[in-house]
Amino acid sequence: MTLDELRVGQEARIVDIALSGAIGQRLLDMGFVEGTCVKIVRNAPLIDPIDLLVRGYHVSIRHAEAEGVEVEPL
Amino acid sequence: MSRAFTVAVAGQPNCGKSTLFNTLTGARQFVANYPGVTVEKRIGLFAHKGDRITLVDLPGTYSLTSYSLEERVARDFLLDESPDLVLNIVDASNLERNLYLTFQLLEMEFPLVLALNMMDIAAGRGIDVDPLRLSDELQVPVIPTIGNRGKGKRELREAIWAACASKEDHRSRFRVDYGEALESVIALLEAKLSQQAHLAGRYPVRWLAIKLLEDDPEVRKLVTGAVEARDYRLSRSEEPGESQ
Repeated sequence: MTLDELRVGQEARIVDIALSGAIGQRLLDMGFVEGTCVKIVRNAPLIDPIDLLVRGYHVSIRHAEAEGVEVEPL
Repeated sequence: MSRAFTVAVAGQPNCGKSTLFNTLTGARQFVANYPGVTVEKRIGLFAHKGDRITLVDLPGTYSLTSYSLEERVARDFLLDESPDLVLNIVDASNLERNLYLTFQLLEMEFPLVLALNMMDIAAGRGIDVDPLRLSDELQVPVIPTIGNRGKGKRELREAIWAACASKEDHRSRFRVDYGEALESVIALLEAKLSQQAHLAGRYPVRWLAIKLLEDDPEVRKLVTGAVEARDYRLSRSEEPGESQ
């Protein structure tokens, strides 16, 4: 399952990042690596972006980007 | 006699870099652009114990890859201008993410001073960071600061000056251990890169090796360029007919 399929309040562990190039690198730089836990904090009213909690800080990404992050729900 | 030192100020976005920069330099600032790009370059000065210290504010970046313009600008400045010191500002309330940039700077083998900023916000969130322990682990001076209240300013100025003025090589020996599988490949690449005199003389070979493994386009260009230039010279010198 991918990160964009999770509901608000759900937590999951990152299994794989299937994004390459600048956006893949940026996510890696910000600590999105295999084994990291993420929590969906909320969705924006008009779908994008998603507010996530990772390693104790908030980050917003698009659904299209979240689609490239493979997770297993906790 | 008065000496002049250049210090690059690096930090991730929202680490309080600008506030601390202003605190350290006050009104003695001017603004330019990095050559050829519209990325603002802020330069500030302060004097300490008779020496003149110039701070150059690097763009706030999460990392030092070559994907974004800001990161390339920051990296090129560090590599080309080789400042006397890098002042790395880290957000104590977001230490884990912020230390990623710190590790990259350590990998580039720069002399480093760490400003552990936003200590008040970290404490408010129940995060207790031990500056001495961090300093021991990373083998760099660590100064706790609260940028918007000017706390730690005097200590930070002193630490910057002391690191610049010191004649000893005080670069950290700390290295990230990438595990056996990667380390053996890194060692192999390091050995090969060390044979390239004009690469090895300019850049840390371990850093080059790691960036090659990341398939960093700029570093790949750098290394292939250097190797091709050498092969070209070798092939020329092997053809005695050409040099008469």
